[in-house]
Amino acid sequence: MSVGAAVERRVGGSQVRRSAAKYAAVVRTQLAHGLAYPGDLIMRSLTILIFMWVFIHLWRSTYAATGQTSVRGLTLNNTLWYLVLAESITLSKPRVATAIAQAVRDGSVAYQLSKPYSFLGYQAAVTVGDALVRGAVTVLLGGALVAVMVGPPPSMLGWPPAFAAVIAGWLIDFCMATLIGLMAFVVEDVAAFEWIYSKLILVLGGVLLPLDFLPDGFRRVAEALPFAYTTWAPARLFVSPDPALFVRLFGIQLAWLAGLALLVAIVHRQCTARLAVNGG
Amino acid sequence: MAGKRAAMAGEAVTGGALARLWRRVRAAFRSVRVETRFLLALWRVNLLSALEYRTAFISQVVGMMLNNAAFLVFWALFFERFPSVGGWGMPDMLQLFGMTATGFGLGVVLFGNALNLADIIADNGLDAYLALPRPVLLHVLAGKSRLSGWGDIATGVLCFALTADPGAAAWGRYAVAALASMTVFVSFLVVVASLTFGIGGASALSAQAIHAMLAFATYPLTIFDGTAKLMLMTVIPAAFIGAVPAEFVRGYSDRSLLQILAAAGVSLALAVVLFHRGLRRYESGGMAVSAG
Amino acid sequence: MPAIVVDNLRKTFTAKRKSAGLAGSLKAMVRPDRTTVEAVQGLSFRMDDGELLGFIGPNGAGKSTTIKILTGILYPTSGTAEVLGFVPWRERRKLAYHIGTVFGQRSQLWPHLPAIDTLALFGKIYELDHRTVRRRIALLSEAFEITHLLETPVRKLSLGQRMRCEVAASLLHQPRLILLDEPSIGLDPVAKQRIRDMIIRMNAEEGVGVLLTSHDAGDIEALCKRVIIVNHGQIVYDDRVSALKRRYLTVKDVGVRFVEPIAGDVDIPGAEVVKVGGGGYGLKLRFDTTVTPAAELLAHIGALGGVEDVTISDPSLEDVIRVIYEQAAAGEAIRPADSSWPSVEPEGSEGAP
Repeated sequence: MSVGAAVERRVGGSQVRRSAAKYAAVVRTQLAHGLAYPGDLIMRSLTILIFMWVFIHLWRSTYAATGQTSVRGLTLNNTLWYLVLAESITLSKPRVATAIAQAVRDGSVAYQLSKPYSFLGYQAAVTVGDALVRGAVTVLLGGALVAVMVGPPPSMLGWPPAFAAVIAGWLIDFCMATLIGLMAFVVEDVAAFEWIYSKLILVLGGVLLPLDFLPDGFRRVAEALPFAYTTWAPARLFVSPDPALFVRLFGIQLAWLAGLALLVAIVHRQCTARLAVNGG
Repeated sequence: MAGKRAAMAGEAVTGGALARLWRRVRAAFRSVRVETRFLLALWRVNLLSALEYRTAFISQVVGMMLNNAAFLVFWALFFERFPSVGGWGMPDMLQLFGMTATGFGLGVVLFGNALNLADIIADNGLDAYLALPRPVLLHVLAGKSRLSGWGDIATGVLCFALTADPGAAAWGRYAVAALASMTVFVSFLVVVASLTFGIGGASALSAQAIHAMLAFATYPLTIFDGTAKLMLMTVIPAAFIGAVPAEFVRGYSDRSLLQILAAAGVSLALAVVLFHRGLRRYESGGMAVSAG
Repeated sequence: MPAIVVDNLRKTFTAKRKSAGLAGSLKAMVRPDRTTVEAVQGLSFRMDDGELLGFIGPNGAGKSTTIKILTGILYPTSGTAEVLGFVPWRERRKLAYHIGTVFGQRSQLWPHLPAIDTLALFGKIYELDHRTVRRRIALLSEAFEITHLLETPVRKLSLGQRMRCEVAASLLHQPRLILLDEPSIGLDPVAKQRIRDMIIRMNAEEGVGVLLTSHDAGDIEALCKRVIIVNHGQIVYDDRVSALKRRYLTVKDVGVRFVEPIAGDVDIPGAEVVKVGGGGYGLKLRFDTTVTPAAELLAHIGALGGVEDVTISDPSLEDVIRVIYEQAAAGEAIRPADSSWPSVEPEGSEGAP
């Protein structure tokens, strides 16, 4: 498959529709799977309650200390709803890099030599499906706590665009995690790289701190990198449902997604081509 | 005559009782000696085992230090924007984080199975230890060592070195505080795991409890109000893993010394009692049906 | 002094039953269904000091439960037991100094370290002084032929080598009784034989009793003089291994090779034809000695044609045990298992046609 096909996939065509239907089915299956074990799900979701409880206390004290209601354009309410989203996005992500690395090691990644998208596309759909279930429960629980202790969520009008940004964010993360996982072709153990990646997301992705609060230099660097668009962008959009902001941030997300997806396709093709030549 | 006999009988009684008491004390001392030698042997084996894979060891340690560094970067950025929160600044944060990291690190290096005790119990893993003549709790806890803990210890020491007063006194306080913090942490984990003896599936609960503990022990105590603070000193004693020991390191005071020693003692006692109570239940087969 | 005395041991578990799904989980938390499982129902037996005793049964028979009670890991619901003079569940730690365990499926050796390090640790666990430990290691490494293996990391050893180290380690503190659970699992026949011989030797030299549980009939046959078979929480057999075969199975297999191929259908009264093969040269039969005397059968076979070779084989111990399990499962009357039941047949008569 060529680069041209990759572009075509995004531009349109009946092939896209068929693929889309297929992937939608995968997502639905993962949703059902996740809902089959509600007890387990709820247990894991207690983590969000713990974090949010601590964050609520931290930011209440912090805002009180500044004596202001709004810092860098964000109120206490804004900050906490931002954190609910940011944490939910992060906590609900499955460990893609490990899964891909495992697939590389046991050879299943090479099965679809002529159709790289089937395998990775499938993995992407599985990831989004899993994340949706956990994400929904997490947001509901964490959101309930914040609503009770701090205040109501931002306008519902903002929810659909935020949702789109969340999905885009997960897909961007998926691409980067896949690149790390594909390093299994070259490196013995990808765990260390996965770890470094998760720290980069933590610091530069705005998981604990909205990027708006960073010193200006830092902030500019962070907003130039893709990490911010996995977590900060969707959470920020949720909190400030502004159409202009949406267009800007979602646009940047799509750009990063396109670029990274391309990169993944190329790397995957290179790797499996090498496999075909060397015979695995 | 009767009086003299009564006196002698009295002496025999108290003499006998004293002798018995002395025997008990001697036995206790001997027991401490034996178990210490045993623990040292166990730690030695764990360390030897870890050194077999030097590169993995080093990468785990470095990885953990980077992990901690990421959180410290978060705090540095936070304090850049918000210089003081509830009287806390970056140096205070470093001390708190360092203290928790030290306690946690020591706990998982010396008593590595504390983190997965619930799983061990659920899988009948205690049986192997029960067939051996050493105290079960001690043996199972020290049976594994998590290498990444050395990274936490290193982080803790670094944080201490960066913020403490120079001099041996500060190091002495740090050592005492670290041991107390470790004791509270490990005891807490044992208490949570001991709940598995009663409820199935406490493994997930265990994981949550650890998250909670770490979360609470790495945020400034002053952000928490009255009831919350109380909770952090009792139900989930995060305050005695981070904040209070850190306070003791900052400067000696009878009050903080007493507090950390009391917390360590109480939590240890609770852990031992609950574990052994649970063990008795386990031995009556109250937990599961074993096959075959 | 007997090593083990068990009298009317009973163990009943109550297990919570949970139905599937969220509703089931919630109900189980509020008002659980409880089922009672009688894992051990009135077990009584003895084991002498220094004896080699097999203790076998199908999975779910109550075997592991009994072993756990004997090591003090579980308390019984009722009944008594004494191991080496200790009541296991009350004096577990004291008993632990005198028993050893080997689990075929779970290693007690630290995998990344050489066996000698685990042995040193065991020395500390059993509070042995340095000299004793050194002496025991020298003795055991010679007996188990592992002297050259002691410094190699355990994970680099073959399974057979590792098992020899495991058994040696279990004997470090000179226990009076060891419990072996599947010691030869996964081993090749040569390794199996080696380890069995070494165990027999240790039993002879040190008088250490061996309580063996194994699904490998070969282990039982090679190691044990006596075997106890448990099923459904009860003892279904408690007697010598030699008596086991004779008493329970009177069926024998016969293999015949003819000088010239036999033609037509083969029908031999009193015997079941298992297979005609080898182009008519070979014949396999099965017959019950209580129905058809061997002499009669041989006459019938001779009548078929010139016989070049005949083999008459006893059933394997495996077959015997399987029949016993099946009998017990089918609820047939359990033949009385009384360890004092005298054995009439003299030694050496086993296998005589």
